[in-house]
Amino acid sequence: MNWLREAVLRLRATLGRQRREQMLDEELETHLALLTEQNVERGMSPEEARRTARLSLGGRDQIKESVRDHRGLPLLETLGQDIHYALRMLRKSPGFTAVTVLTLALGIGANTAIFSFVYGVLLAPLPYRDASRLVVLNETTPRVGNVSVSYPNFLDWREQSSSFSKMAYIQQMTFNLAGAGVSQPENINGDSVSPNFLSMMGVRPFLGRDFQAQEEKAGTQRVLLLSDQLWQSHFGADRNVVGRAITLDGNDFVIIGVLPPDYRWLDRIDVMLPIGVWATNNPQAAAREDRGDSTVAGRLAPGVPLARGRAEMEGIAAGLAKQYPAANDQFGVRLQPIRDAFVGSLQTEILVLFAAVVFVLLIACANVANLFLVRGAARTKEFALRIAFGASRMRIIRQMLTESFVLAFLGGALGLALALAGVRVITGLIPQGTLAGASIGLNGTVLLFTAGVVVLAALVFGMGPAVHATKRDVQEELKEGGRTATVGAAQNRLRGVLAVAEISLALVLLAGAGLMTKSLYRLMNVNPGFQPDRVLTMEMYLSPQRYSKDPAILNFWQQVLDGVRALPGVDSAALGTNVPLSDRHSRTDITIEGMALPKPGSFPHPDVHTISRDYARTLGMVLERGRTFTDADNESAPLVALVNQKLARQYWANENPIGKRFMWGQFDPASKTPPKWVTVVGVVDDTKLYGLANPARPEVYDPLRQDVNNDMDLLVKSRIDSSVLTSEIRSAVAAVDKDQPIFAIATMDKLVSDDVSAPRLTLVLLGLFSALAVVLAAIGIYGVISYSVAQRTHEIGVRMTLGAHPRDVLRLVLGQVGKFALTGIAIGIVAALGLTRLMSSLLFSVSASDPATFAAVAILLVLVAIFACYIPVRRAMRVDPMVALRYE
Amino acid sequence: MITATKAEVLQGTLDLLVLKTLDTLGPLHGFGIARRIQQVSQDALLLNQGTLYPALVRLEQRGWIRSKWGVSDNNRRARFYSLTKAGQKQLAVEARSWERMASIITRLLAGAEEP
Repeated sequence: MNWLREAVLRLRATLGRQRREQMLDEELETHLALLTEQNVERGMSPEEARRTARLSLGGRDQIKESVRDHRGLPLLETLGQDIHYALRMLRKSPGFTAVTVLTLALGIGANTAIFSFVYGVLLAPLPYRDASRLVVLNETTPRVGNVSVSYPNFLDWREQSSSFSKMAYIQQMTFNLAGAGVSQPENINGDSVSPNFLSMMGVRPFLGRDFQAQEEKAGTQRVLLLSDQLWQSHFGADRNVVGRAITLDGNDFVIIGVLPPDYRWLDRIDVMLPIGVWATNNPQAAAREDRGDSTVAGRLAPGVPLARGRAEMEGIAAGLAKQYPAANDQFGVRLQPIRDAFVGSLQTEILVLFAAVVFVLLIACANVANLFLVRGAARTKEFALRIAFGASRMRIIRQMLTESFVLAFLGGALGLALALAGVRVITGLIPQGTLAGASIGLNGTVLLFTAGVVVLAALVFGMGPAVHATKRDVQEELKEGGRTATVGAAQNRLRGVLAVAEISLALVLLAGAGLMTKSLYRLMNVNPGFQPDRVLTMEMYLSPQRYSKDPAILNFWQQVLDGVRALPGVDSAALGTNVPLSDRHSRTDITIEGMALPKPGSFPHPDVHTISRDYARTLGMVLERGRTFTDADNESAPLVALVNQKLARQYWANENPIGKRFMWGQFDPASKTPPKWVTVVGVVDDTKLYGLANPARPEVYDPLRQDVNNDMDLLVKSRIDSSVLTSEIRSAVAAVDKDQPIFAIATMDKLVSDDVSAPRLTLVLLGLFSALAVVLAAIGIYGVISYSVAQRTHEIGVRMTLGAHPRDVLRLVLGQVGKFALTGIAIGIVAALGLTRLMSSLLFSVSASDPATFAAVAILLVLVAIFACYIPVRRAMRVDPMVALRYE
Repeated sequence: MITATKAEVLQGTLDLLVLKTLDTLGPLHGFGIARRIQQVSQDALLLNQGTLYPALVRLEQRGWIRSKWGVSDNNRRARFYSLTKAGQKQLAVEARSWERMASIITRLLAGAEEP
């Protein structure tokens, strides 16, 4: 225990330094006085007594130093000294300090900012128990790709699977919230889940109880869990909310609990219901071919690897396809580890940006290392002197490293501030829902990362120059009496290598940015198939309880259309389902008249839109052939439809589609009832329903009056400001039904913009980082060339004396620049060709090795290099030979 | 002990002498300890009296002595050092090990003289 006591005493000693020194002074005074007295007693004169006493006692300062060494924590105190000294040194060269700190701050700040996304989206643990065992499953069909799961299929999956210990069904729903306690009618989202969903994920309700097994059956009591957000906003976080009622779509639900605040899933929800509620009086629950907005989550049984689970599920799906061909033919299953389901395509984007900021930091460190090399070279004499006087080399290196660390720390602190602002700006530019509830911020892990970066950076740019400047052969330099700064070829080579490395890194970044620019440009020039400008869109969902009959629904829609069309400034208005870029889709099988009956899973499977009159006109869609719907296409008229170009070309390639017929659903030869044929009356252009980057699909449009729908989007094209228009539309709808909520209000322009927001944001950031890299690299080149010119001033003077023209000097210097630049560019191009391949999933219609982009970027860097050394080159050309020759 | 440096040997001896002094003479201030050690070792151990002070700090940090401000005979304010219980124990331990060492070396040297 003695060492502990000693440690504590030493620690205390470090802290109470001044007082102790005073006390020691007093003690030594007393000792001196006593010694003097003793000497006087022995017969010496007072002055002699005092002198002898002082000699006997010894040098005061030496005693104090010796005591100090034994007292506090010498390491800590010398560290304190070093930091003090370092700060003083840095304050003496404010330019150097400012440039270095700023450079580091930009590099470290960018890294911290992007890392918070790396952590928040890719690394942060999901709030589930044993998340690595959780899997998200969905069905697939070759005609579309990934689709939802039908409930009967899910039940069979669950029953037949042994690799999953638990499975749960999650069905998205929408509700109108109205009634007592709700000031304005609004629309909310909910998930209807298997009762074991929360327990399977390891989530427990914050208040109240979880669902029970029997709540899976249809007819179960209407209960629900509130989301934490809804509980706060509508119930004031009332702890007695359990047992209260809430009215959704005109039905009363009993609140049985509240979800925890950190609850997170792929959908954002306001309420959670047991699946039994959704299944009640719902024919969809028993329809195997009905797949709408649902997903399945499962927990792998202990010890079962994902590969085995996947193989088993594929087998089960194949079995179901054989057993129920009409519904399941060619339908497969896809399994995703839950992390992949959350991250999706974001992974590539985030990692590309992370690689970019790492490059920027490397360039920044190279620049700072260069600055340190120059600075170290200038202080060579000072170090050699100190070594000659007995200072240990380690001590000097430690002191220089302290300087590096102080600079890195300052850069890190400023960088953190930049990162804080940066993260806020970036998250502001990301459309809601893209990050699936990931929380991004400067939390503990991110700060730890920043600390690590600071330490690494300090070592990277500090170690080399520190060791180099205190090398033994440096002392030889001193003896020679050469110019203060020359430390030989090795250092110059190092500088050259750094410059070339910077150029290579900058080129890779520029190549990436260039490719993204071209890709985004191509993407934004894609024809969406409609005109989004000045079109406002919003959604309305008519609750079945209040609008149970078709005539009531149609009546509502007609009145709303009439009211909106009458508003001043409105050019046209229409209703439609699954409007482009609304991220809602509805697809169904159709049978073309006269086609050979395909396998059940290969029927034409177009996207379906139910529309009112004027839909094409409002959206500015081009009518290629025939006509659009009129008021004459009503419930008593013959069934009609529009198709898009893609469908027309696929099934009536060399014929006129107008007049052709098809029927909804799969034709059943065994059925006695005659098919209800629908006649094609018009062909419209394709729309980019699934986003600008995705190909168009076959589409069919049918009239609202012939296919009544209670959930539709209102589209309004007008000349007036959208917020004014919104309130006017609200009034118009309220005039028809004051309790009808309107939601998802957005301009089509915004929807188009959001569609490209990911590549656009990636490009903006990549462009920013590339620009930063280029600027830093340019500064680096400037530094190296400038230094080189200064060093070779003497040589240039000699050359000029021997008859060289300024032009030859220019060629000399530019030759050196050119060597750096071309080497850097060559290495950069090779590296870029290898690396850009990794971002090809982000590129739209551009190859990852697009020669035009690479060429443009290379030329840009050459120009930058030339521009960067403009000043040093001019200086070189202006060298006065007489001055230069004398310049030692 | 064979591997200890000269400085460490001197340090160890000095420590022992300080402890013994305080044990024999009771609480004493720095000057008093230094004077006693000089008497006993005949100036061999203290290059100058000031080198006593680091030793006192060391001994205090190890918990073998403690210090207190007091008043000396001629009314001067001085810091007085005294032996702690642990210090007393340490003194006994050190004394024993010195005796053991001395007897071994004596025997060794005596044995070397025998033919």
